[in-house]
Amino acid sequence: LTETLAIAGRVGLFAGQVLLRALTPPWFLPELARQVWTTCARCMGPVLAVTLPFGMVISLQGLQIFDLFGAQRLLSSLVSVAVLRELAPVLASVLVAAQGGSSVAAELGAMRIKEEIDATEVMAVDSLRYHVLPRIFGLTLSTPMLGLAGAGAGLFGGWLSAVLIEGEPSGVFLANLWALTTPMDLWAGVIKTLCFGFTIGIIAAYNGYHTTGGASGVGRAVNDTVVYACLVFFVENYFLTSALFGAAGT
Amino acid sequence: MSAPQASLGALGRFALFLWDCGVATLRHGLPWSEVLGESYRIGVRALPILLVITFFLGTTLAVQGYNAFQPLGGSRLVGMFVALAGVREMAPIIAASMVAAKAGTEMASQIGVMRIREQIDALEVMAVHPLAWLVAPRLLGILFVLPALTTISIFVVLAAAFLTSVYQLNVSPEIFIEFVRQGLKPEDLLWGQLKAMAFGIIICTVSCYQGYTCTGGPEGVGAATNRAVVISAVLCVALNYLLSRLMFT
Repeated sequence: LTETLAIAGRVGLFAGQVLLRALTPPWFLPELARQVWTTCARCMGPVLAVTLPFGMVISLQGLQIFDLFGAQRLLSSLVSVAVLRELAPVLASVLVAAQGGSSVAAELGAMRIKEEIDATEVMAVDSLRYHVLPRIFGLTLSTPMLGLAGAGAGLFGGWLSAVLIEGEPSGVFLANLWALTTPMDLWAGVIKTLCFGFTIGIIAAYNGYHTTGGASGVGRAVNDTVVYACLVFFVENYFLTSALFGAAGT
Repeated sequence: MSAPQASLGALGRFALFLWDCGVATLRHGLPWSEVLGESYRIGVRALPILLVITFFLGTTLAVQGYNAFQPLGGSRLVGMFVALAGVREMAPIIAASMVAAKAGTEMASQIGVMRIREQIDALEVMAVHPLAWLVAPRLLGILFVLPALTTISIFVVLAAAFLTSVYQLNVSPEIFIEFVRQGLKPEDLLWGQLKAMAFGIIICTVSCYQGYTCTGGPEGVGAATNRAVVISAVLCVALNYLLSRLMFT
């Protein structure tokens, strides 16, 4: 337990160092833009490939609940609530952790063990500022975009499964799609994904930046990144959900 | 080479890899001593993380289910929502993705490191068939362990959702349990096991393949590890839809 606390403290210090640098110029904005672009390009395929079937599954299982009550017209409302509030942000973040976070950890880890980071320092370039900061904020900024794209794919998957495969009328599905959702749900999703993206960025950068021990060290950094990023943001998710959607019982 | 050609080629190489693994295992026998070690490594090491994640998955599901049904006046349905969404879908898929993230990446990076350090060639020199020695025990281990982890996740999700519903959302315990029982059938547990086995096969073969065919030094290992977890997650979710379609309709 003391070990865990010590690691949490080191991650916290690392995050502090990075954030302090974020407050003052110079900012490497082209580098940041490049990171946002690579992360989006890398993760878009996997995110869409995961949220689409999941939307289909939600629609399939939702139909089972509503068949009991003969309330199939509510299906699309449930799908949009589930996808927008929960599935798209969480699944997009899992995939960003698995794809974007792990490649950030692998890149920084490889730079560390090839002593490229030391070389940067020798050239009087602040490695945290030049290598780490754009990557963290690249992940933070691209996760919401991927979450929104994932929400679109999830809704489309729900429509696909309900209308084309189970034969529900398309007009009813589309008419009730927004019955229970408000723009607030969309913003809540964006806020959640911003938080998750930042968490993933910090954990990935910490693990990559502190890689030791050659090729197997890089593998371990990637592994730890995916696992701990998922762990932390699932915990975060519960508190954010409770806070954003108000969870007082009646 | 165009993209469809390249992906067909990758699929073909993957199929050949599986065939080679099968043949090698039949011909050289299974190293049973390794199976137990792999089961331990996959199962016990993933357990603490899985427990935390599934606990918070259950709490979140309860809060979301409660809120989603509240405008319909059906917030009591939270039990059924948790039963259908949690037990049938989320618990197996989350257990699988955590095992992919923990054990799958570990397989890919271990085997990848052995590949780039030429330890796999060394195994061949010692007349040990690397595929029989490396892949088969991991596959058997994950087949033993992932169904067990899935069952544990299902119970943790239900317990967490119960606690949240009763203590945070003030749903009465009897109503929660009543709706869980309406939503679930005993077969659902069995289907969960079957899903877990299918996911286990995907995770293990994909990760071992990625590690085994890894090239290009330390970045290569990182990239292989990365591909292993992403490809197995995508395949598991896609397969999950097909399995749910077959099992629950």
